[in-house]
Amino acid sequence: MRSTLAIVVAGAGLLIAAFPLAAHHSFAAEFDATKPVTLQGAVTKLDWMNPHIWIYLDTKDDSGTVAHWQCEGGPPNTLSRNGWSKDSLKVGDQATIEGFRSKDGTNTCNARSVKLPSGKNVFAGSAEDGAPKRPAQ
Amino acid sequence: MRIPFLAATLTIASIASIPLFSQSAGFTGDISSKPPPPVKAGPAPRTPDGKPDMSGLWARPYVPDMTKSNKDQSQIGMPELPFTEAGLKEWKSYDAANGDYTGTCLPFGLMRSMNSPDPIQIMQSPKYVALLYEQNTWFHIIPVDKPHHDNWSPTWFGDSVGHWDGDSFVVDTVNFNGRTRLDTIGHPHSDALHVIERFTRTDSLHMAYEVTIDDPKTFTKPWTNKRIFTLRTDWEIMEYSCEENNKDFYEGHIKAPPPPK
Repeated sequence: MRSTLAIVVAGAGLLIAAFPLAAHHSFAAEFDATKPVTLQGAVTKLDWMNPHIWIYLDTKDDSGTVAHWQCEGGPPNTLSRNGWSKDSLKVGDQATIEGFRSKDGTNTCNARSVKLPSGKNVFAGSAEDGAPKRPAQ
Repeated sequence: MRIPFLAATLTIASIASIPLFSQSAGFTGDISSKPPPPVKAGPAPRTPDGKPDMSGLWARPYVPDMTKSNKDQSQIGMPELPFTEAGLKEWKSYDAANGDYTGTCLPFGLMRSMNSPDPIQIMQSPKYVALLYEQNTWFHIIPVDKPHHDNWSPTWFGDSVGHWDGDSFVVDTVNFNGRTRLDTIGHPHSDALHVIERFTRTDSLHMAYEVTIDDPKTFTKPWTNKRIFTLRTDWEIMEYSCEENNKDFYEGHIKAPPPPK
């Protein structure tokens, strides 16, 4: 399967308001709600540890150039109560992650959903403000 | 690093149509979407001394923003916070990107722990009530029918005392260090924070929770949130070490909070 990376930039702050997610820290402390990202590639590692799981993914563009990405999800406790396990993603699995990029410009993202090799699209339970829009300033 | 991309600019409407998750066997989406086993609620159980028994593992609504309410009424927020001038200034100047203290695994403090998404276990005796937070494996002990401590240093979780008001357990907490935020979005409070919580086990499966925020430095008058907790007999509390792999901080993706004033 050809791996692709799509970066979708839009004023998507409203997108994340409605989902009750598991939070260790504020979404806004690290991630940019205006920079959604979709990553498709091969899983190279899964950190199944608190306070967030981390999924490592290698994406490849049309010319075959590989980019290394890392995306945080929710805490293992919450995810395991929702059917995840440390074996949900294995090295080499093809997965698609939809999330938001970090503010620091590195290949780091906050995963909102993960499409598993089985085709299931599952919630990743990541950090969240609850309301990215601050009251009128 | 070169970032290959297929770029597209979508409208908010089209982005909103992307399925963030779908329910399928084994995976049921967010924490609130997986209901507890169907059990008919009975009367609230009682301890041998006749008090309502609050023991158990409780799922609670995640409240990242105390001004917001949930559609199912499991959380009723305070839409307009009655800020003092100083409180409003503090709120307007806050930017989590400059350092959210929880990102370094510092204690969430009482309110942000009560607002956290993970469950709490309550253990109860006639002399003490213990709240065991799964969030970062913290705990908070509430002595029953005792006065507040004299001359204790201010703390993250404050100094709590509890008493029974009929069938409600009322917790009064003062002496906070002022270094925490009320919720994830960052609503402020000061070291003058005074929190009054009321736990009422309404039946065998539910607990009504009401919290009053009283902080004359930050708010012109006290205000409340009301919530419903749900007993989860199918869950057990799990270890949660915030420090074991806090890549966000170790790798510098988030900033440390400002030092204590």
